[in-house]
Amino acid sequence: MPRLKTLTLSSLSTLALLAAAPASATTFTISWWGFNGDKLQEIIVNPFQEMCGCEVVFETGNNGDRLNRLQMRSGAGVDVIYLTDSYSQTGIEQGLFQPIDPAQIPNISELYEMAQAPQGEYGPAYTVGRIGLVYDSARVNPPITSWNDLWREDLAGMIALPNITTTTGPMVVLKAGDHAGVSAYEDQDATFASLAELVPNVVTNYNTGSEMINLFSTGEIAVSMTQDFTLNPLRAAVPTVEWAALEDGEIAVLNTINIPTGSENVELAHQFINFVLSAEIQQQLAEQGVDAPVNTNVTLTDEQAASWTYGEEAIGRLQRIDYSQLNPARNEWLDLWNETFGM
Amino acid sequence: MPTRIHPLLIAFTVVVYLFLLGPLIIIFGASLSDTTYLTFPPQGLSLRWFENIWEISAFRRTIVTSLQMAFLGTLIALIIGIPAAYALNRHRVSLPAWLSTLFVLPILVPEMVIGFSLLRSVTVQMGVPVWYALLIGHTLLVIPYVIRVVSASLASFDFSVEEAAISLGSHPAKTFFTIVLPNIRSGVIAAFILSFITSINDVSVSLFLTGPGISTLPIQLLAHMEQFFDPTIASVSVVLMMLTIVVMIIVERTLGLAVVAK
Amino acid sequence: MKRLAGWMLATPATLAIALLLVIPVAGTIGMTFGTPGQGDWGIVQPYADFFASNFRRRVLWRTFEVAGYVTVISLAAGLVTAYVVARCPAWTKSVLVVLAVFPLLTGVIVRSFAWLVLLGREGMVNQFLIWTGLIDGPLTMLYTPGAVIVAMVYIFVPLMVLVLVGVLENIPEDLLQASSSLGAGPVASFFQVTLPLAVPGLIVGAVLVFTASFTSYATPALLGGTRQMMMGTFLHQSAMVRFDWPGAAVVAAIMLAVILATVLVMTRLAKRLNPMAT
Repeated sequence: MPRLKTLTLSSLSTLALLAAAPASATTFTISWWGFNGDKLQEIIVNPFQEMCGCEVVFETGNNGDRLNRLQMRSGAGVDVIYLTDSYSQTGIEQGLFQPIDPAQIPNISELYEMAQAPQGEYGPAYTVGRIGLVYDSARVNPPITSWNDLWREDLAGMIALPNITTTTGPMVVLKAGDHAGVSAYEDQDATFASLAELVPNVVTNYNTGSEMINLFSTGEIAVSMTQDFTLNPLRAAVPTVEWAALEDGEIAVLNTINIPTGSENVELAHQFINFVLSAEIQQQLAEQGVDAPVNTNVTLTDEQAASWTYGEEAIGRLQRIDYSQLNPARNEWLDLWNETFGM
Repeated sequence: MPTRIHPLLIAFTVVVYLFLLGPLIIIFGASLSDTTYLTFPPQGLSLRWFENIWEISAFRRTIVTSLQMAFLGTLIALIIGIPAAYALNRHRVSLPAWLSTLFVLPILVPEMVIGFSLLRSVTVQMGVPVWYALLIGHTLLVIPYVIRVVSASLASFDFSVEEAAISLGSHPAKTFFTIVLPNIRSGVIAAFILSFITSINDVSVSLFLTGPGISTLPIQLLAHMEQFFDPTIASVSVVLMMLTIVVMIIVERTLGLAVVAK
Repeated sequence: MKRLAGWMLATPATLAIALLLVIPVAGTIGMTFGTPGQGDWGIVQPYADFFASNFRRRVLWRTFEVAGYVTVISLAAGLVTAYVVARCPAWTKSVLVVLAVFPLLTGVIVRSFAWLVLLGREGMVNQFLIWTGLIDGPLTMLYTPGAVIVAMVYIFVPLMVLVLVGVLENIPEDLLQASSSLGAGPVASFFQVTLPLAVPGLIVGAVLVFTASFTSYATPALLGGTRQMMMGTFLHQSAMVRFDWPGAAVVAAIMLAVILATVLVMTRLAKRLNPMAT
């Protein structure tokens, strides 16, 4: 049966070649969102690959997705993991991370104090952001100036909220509580009744920042709640988008880097963290519109600083979330959220 | 003759065909657009979104992985499926009736359930590495197609030829390769193509089994769609469509179009 | 020796499916059961919890609804198309069948994506409606059950056409000739001869489309969004986002039960309704 034989032989040899191809030196695995992938490749990955002579591989997805996968693998499979502070808090509680050795990360001393050890002996924060509202000024009039504006009738069918499964989702519930004049932790009924009033305004709830940007760029929505790291790419897609100047204040978010217990390259991981915390890299990331800097040696012009949470003073004005309260509440709110939006 | 059919029915059918093929033409047009957003008709013609596929390392890697899964998965399925199909046809009496139902289970059980169950058992409980777990999933998916199609081919094979050869002294195994296999060639090729396409297009099983650095093209496409809603998605779609056309031409050349209708 | 030969040949495939499919799926079903004495319902407590949740019942019902609409519409469109195609001369018929099947081979994501583009507020459907003056401003069509239904019909009509052309071709020409020679017009012939003989095939097609749309993931994920969850997307969210594996297992088990029940009932029905069965 010559045909079958040739087919088998050629497939096997091709596959052998394919499989043999990338077996190079060490593989360093980073778990992050994948957002701004091309810029991160340029600013962080390429220089780091040269420094370490290793090959960098990614696991991408949102916080929940990646933390769950890490838990499935019992802390193995990736060398460093980028998470937002509420999720890294969960990771710590689940025993998935190892404490870092500050001696191997000298650049930590250059950071704002709140970023150096936000979660005890675990990873530092590499950026600080705010959660607020964005809107397309071409379609929304008058402009948005308060969280309560979300409930405006003229915004019917124009909003996408972060899904409860995202970082910012639970904060929607907190704000719904504020809107009803109650604490979301104490009066769930009133809070969710207030959330239900939002329903006619909401088209869909997004799972990732990039999904939200797509919804804006295709005109499906004109208002959303998001973190400020999405602002630059959002403005590039839809120039008329504005960050709402909220009189009732925005929420602070710290993104952390941690080393999972199953990391195969712990020393390299420390090197990597030190690398991304350096003033040089933080400067480039800020200037290229990727992340707000937490290294005090980064200097930005007023124009560059405009879209970031920059400076000790600006950071001081933000509302901090107590994750030890929010995280447990989040699980309870999951079903109530689905019953509000998913029926 | 079409003249016996009411014109309204013909009109309806034309509409259905426009409905079926129109969107694909629109994707084709959108892939050639020189804009960074999806639009039809295309504004300016450019092949840059096709070039972009190759430039994105994630696409390069996942195309390779998808091809690996499709080829290997189908190969393994053929190796274990052809004997099984042969046994079902030739040795029907000595095998229980439920066996053919067992072989069809991967089609019966929802893919989402298969994917989730494999994730639990193979990846988490047994700790099988991602690439192998993915291969297991893809092989499982296509086994029923191999067994069914090859069985159908065997059903129309006259076994008396095989018996004659054996009675003349030919070893049963050798007889299989020299007499049976060449005669069911079209069935094997059809099974290969069907399985290959099933594996390349699989979403529901791969969704659960992909891991860091290892993903398949459809899953990567979903991820890309989430991040960038640009014409690259359209150009990848066109590439997949071209692949399908090539496959269909191969089918036409070797087996004739009538086989598709079966 | 002969008896053993059959088993030896079939064993690898049997083992593969038994070890890699049956056992894992049995495991999934196994984990859905609670402990006896826990809660009011004992070992089926997790199922009771599922049905007690308004949201989950809604997801299940919505999946039935969507799958139902998709099946009926695909059946209707597919039947008419298959009827016309089956009556075409051989060469035209082959070409038409190939054209109908071609979309089937391009994969769900490509085809769902097409509707993501078409149904957007800036998509062609809205542009067309505005151009004809039927509406003033764009409608939001995405992230609604309608969008999911339209896209799924698009995905399954080719399958239906493929199945039904085969079914209609198998209806002996002489029966129809007999019917018309007895004075029945084409409509009467269709309803009294063709349709009853096609019923078993229709049921096969309907079952295929219903089960596939009931368990679908990609299309509801892309076109329905988080506010229009169906069983497939809910299973994914439970397992991979919320990491609620017991909950996910319950969803999986219910999905499996619905599919098996559908196939069993419909196969029985098809056998009973087949006028040509011996």
